[in-house]
Amino acid sequence: MALWRFDAIGTIWEIESERPLDEKMRARVHTVIDDFDRIWSRFRADSVVTRLARSGGAGETSDAAAMLNAYRDVSTATHGAVNPLVGESISALGYDADYSFIAATPRPAPVDWTSILSWSAQRIELASPALIDVGALGKGRLVDLVLAALTDLGGDMTVDAGGDIAVRGADVRIGLEHPFDASKAIGTATIRDQALCASAINRRVWGEGLHHVLDARTGLPVRTWAATWAIAPTAMLADAAATALFFDGGVDLAHRWGVKWVRMSTDGRAERSENCPVELFTTRAARE
Amino acid sequence: MISATALSSVRKSAAVVGVAGALALAGCSGAADAEPENSDAAAGASGEYENGTYTADGAYQTPETVEQISVTLTLDAGIVTEVSVTGDPQARETEQYQGEFIDGIAEEVVGVAIDDLDVSRVAGSSLTSSGFNSAVEDIKSQAAK
Repeated sequence: MALWRFDAIGTIWEIESERPLDEKMRARVHTVIDDFDRIWSRFRADSVVTRLARSGGAGETSDAAAMLNAYRDVSTATHGAVNPLVGESISALGYDADYSFIAATPRPAPVDWTSILSWSAQRIELASPALIDVGALGKGRLVDLVLAALTDLGGDMTVDAGGDIAVRGADVRIGLEHPFDASKAIGTATIRDQALCASAINRRVWGEGLHHVLDARTGLPVRTWAATWAIAPTAMLADAAATALFFDGGVDLAHRWGVKWVRMSTDGRAERSENCPVELFTTRAARE
Repeated sequence: MISATALSSVRKSAAVVGVAGALALAGCSGAADAEPENSDAAAGASGEYENGTYTADGAYQTPETVEQISVTLTLDAGIVTEVSVTGDPQARETEQYQGEFIDGIAEEVVGVAIDDLDVSRVAGSSLTSSGFNSAVEDIKSQAAK
């Protein structure tokens, strides 16, 4: 297997493939990532979401419908805990474009976000200025787009963007990193023709969105669950489900989507979905 | 034995996560303060910071409760030799989490060293909480000479 590793949108990417990517393919991958970032990154002064945060109005986008339709499902399922207009809430806690890390008063996201933000396949529109943040599923979507851009290479392939992983073909065995001790795993998952995404409350900001998980209803960080992992046909769905699983309603949504999952609470307990293809290292497992 | 060690590490770390949330929000409560508790604070001074044990308290509002936490750091020659955190996030957002579609009861996690596992990738956080780092920065500024 050939391995290509590079930095983009604040995370380390690895693409593992049977045959190496040539220069043209590598350039194509960078273009896919850059195009996405120039629309959706709230960390870029020249991005579409940054412009709309200042002035409202409409912007040309790629991929708005796929992501925002999924957001609507997640938002409904979690009773508003997940909301793409959470950008201001995250900034209020200091995770802003300047990385100030200066916390101000927590700010809930607008509850009626679907009446402020509208979208079609290639366009988004804000009735009033608001900061869009697609962090709940944006990186997963980008992993899918990168994998799709490399269909002509053929063979087994894995795209890994800092732990959000999509696999074409071959079985890949993945350690589920202990959220409080990166040298340890709480279990392993083996996936094939699927994606696995993780979300953890101590995960740092990345370029496009972030995984400091806030409850949009309060603007406060979540506390019950420390980390979640979800396995789905696409990385976007896995990423979205991993976020939803921090909140009430996430389990039902995962079930409706056919997503398998594991999550670990802040007091060190893990639970998983029925028929989840994951081996967990627990006191119960150790006794058996 | 192994599991006991792992669990104690989990609990300690769980509290640290509470701190990350708490200190990110310390500006709301203004409750943080620190004072050396250790009498040798002046005696063994070297480097940029006074040696000693420092504590910062914080409080933050959650959807259900006000959480109280306390971070204690021991500095020796500018190096943090001990960290402890008390107070912890505890109330679940709901007690109904053991609902349908969940496989059995929650199980206590035992971490296994990734080096001992035959895995080709790792999915998780890998990165330090910036909230906790900022707490450490806060204490550093309080301890600065």
